[in-house]
Amino acid sequence: MAKKTLTPEEKQALMTMRERMGGISDAKKEHQRQLVAARKGIRKLLAEKPATVPQIAAALQLPTDQTLWHLTGMRKYGFVTEAGEDGDYLLYALVQSEEATAAGH
Amino acid sequence: MTTSTQDKTSYRPDAIIVGAGIAGMQSALDLADQGLQVLLVERQSSIGGHMIALAKVFPTLDCASCITAPKMSASAHHENIRIMVNTEVRGIRTVRGTHFVKLFKKATYVNFDKCIGCRLCEYACDSEYPDPFEEGLGAKRAIAVPFTNAIPQKAVLDPELCTTCGSCARVCPTDAIEFDQQSEEVEMETDAVIVASGYALNSLSVKPQYHALQSKNIISALTMERLLAPHGPYGRVLRPSDGKVPSSVAFVLCAGSRDASIGVPYCSRVCCMYSIKMAMLLSGALPIADITIYYMDIRAFGKGYEQFYQNAKAMGINFVRGKVARIDPIEDGDLSLHVETTEDAENILQERRHDLVVLAQGMVPEWNPSIGTPVAVASDGFVATPMLTAPTSTTANGIFVAGVAAGPKDIVDTIAEAGAAAMQVSQYLHQKRGAAAVEYAQDPVLVG
Repeated sequence: MAKKTLTPEEKQALMTMRERMGGISDAKKEHQRQLVAARKGIRKLLAEKPATVPQIAAALQLPTDQTLWHLTGMRKYGFVTEAGEDGDYLLYALVQSEEATAAGH
Repeated sequence: MTTSTQDKTSYRPDAIIVGAGIAGMQSALDLADQGLQVLLVERQSSIGGHMIALAKVFPTLDCASCITAPKMSASAHHENIRIMVNTEVRGIRTVRGTHFVKLFKKATYVNFDKCIGCRLCEYACDSEYPDPFEEGLGAKRAIAVPFTNAIPQKAVLDPELCTTCGSCARVCPTDAIEFDQQSEEVEMETDAVIVASGYALNSLSVKPQYHALQSKNIISALTMERLLAPHGPYGRVLRPSDGKVPSSVAFVLCAGSRDASIGVPYCSRVCCMYSIKMAMLLSGALPIADITIYYMDIRAFGKGYEQFYQNAKAMGINFVRGKVARIDPIEDGDLSLHVETTEDAENILQERRHDLVVLAQGMVPEWNPSIGTPVAVASDGFVATPMLTAPTSTTANGIFVAGVAAGPKDIVDTIAEAGAAAMQVSQYLHQKRGAAAVEYAQDPVLVG
């Protein structure tokens, strides 16, 4: 998607909004750091082969519930898809498409 | 539909409806079809209320969104209905029969007149959080259209989640992002109000002996609705703790109502039926799973409900009469239920294991209108309806109530009551305006 440059007015409005919010909190920064790290790890792992939630959680040392949450978000925005089952668990695989790239980060 | 705040000074609706769930929408449509101007006020970013998030309805097992979405669409496109989302009612003052409704319109940081709902801003956003529409199971970005079939289909930016990176504004094709937008308070004048503010479920932790906060696999009924919904967070039923396909699911009834010790002595009325409905849907989604409903007594009160209950039993769903005293999380995310049954005299106290437990929590009022409005609430917190012969009348003249705001009830009764409230408003306005016209005609000063 084509990205525009923010106008000086938009930049000023963004700064004003940030000031009104009292800046970006440490908790928000930490959440974002963990989000980016987890998603990167999951994509790297799934690039090799499909995996289940417990397998991904064990490999990345993430709690299983958070791993499922990350996969749910990645599935919603088109990064991962279901790829069969392994026992009682679903296998998740990486999606490689322009749409997924466009929708993701 | 309009969602803008343009010409708000000249706009004077005949009625304002607080809450755009199924009750509010039904009342709005009934009034608007009579030619009355209606303002529908909703605190969330989309109309539709709880019902748009449900999987199916009992006892017909019709798709819930197939019933709700047309009502949402009809409300949005009706020429006599205006909708204000992201707006809270902060108070109502009544002066000589006219209600002045104080509305707080939260900033969305998106110009709804410009937004075309393309979601490019959402795709560009890099900040994700648990999605409240999916009961926290799904992910939502800091700027997003609330959900797939939301109305209006407009993006809303949540400043609590935004990292102010500006990516959304860089990709918006219509320059709809307004970082300097501010929340505003407006006062709207009207002749009649319908309170249709609905319900909330009480907290999962209201009964500490169930240890719901210690296990991701003890979930609320609304969470199970999302798991069963076709567009739910996982697209199928999985355990939230680890994504396992559950093989043994328990429903615990009266887990937040009919219990004076937690301040909810009344029956929430619909838990028996929605639990049976979800158990039937689960048996379709998970054919080999064991499904058990722990109940005190089944209240199948409506038309076709008893047959629905009997059908569930015939489908193989286990009904255990008794009370779950305690739930303990055990190994592998499973749960141990300590049950006192009334069915086996030699084995009254039992321990049973399941890998997913749904608590049928109590219904409590979503909004307390006794703060800031002339509407009184009853001892249970729901809107007081003192006239037995007019169940949609409140303690305030010209203010009516519909749906669960007046007490727990199912969707069928809610829709019927919403229609009744609309008719009462219509009748009230007719009498009020007829009386005003007579007053005017008889006023010697005005007549001269």
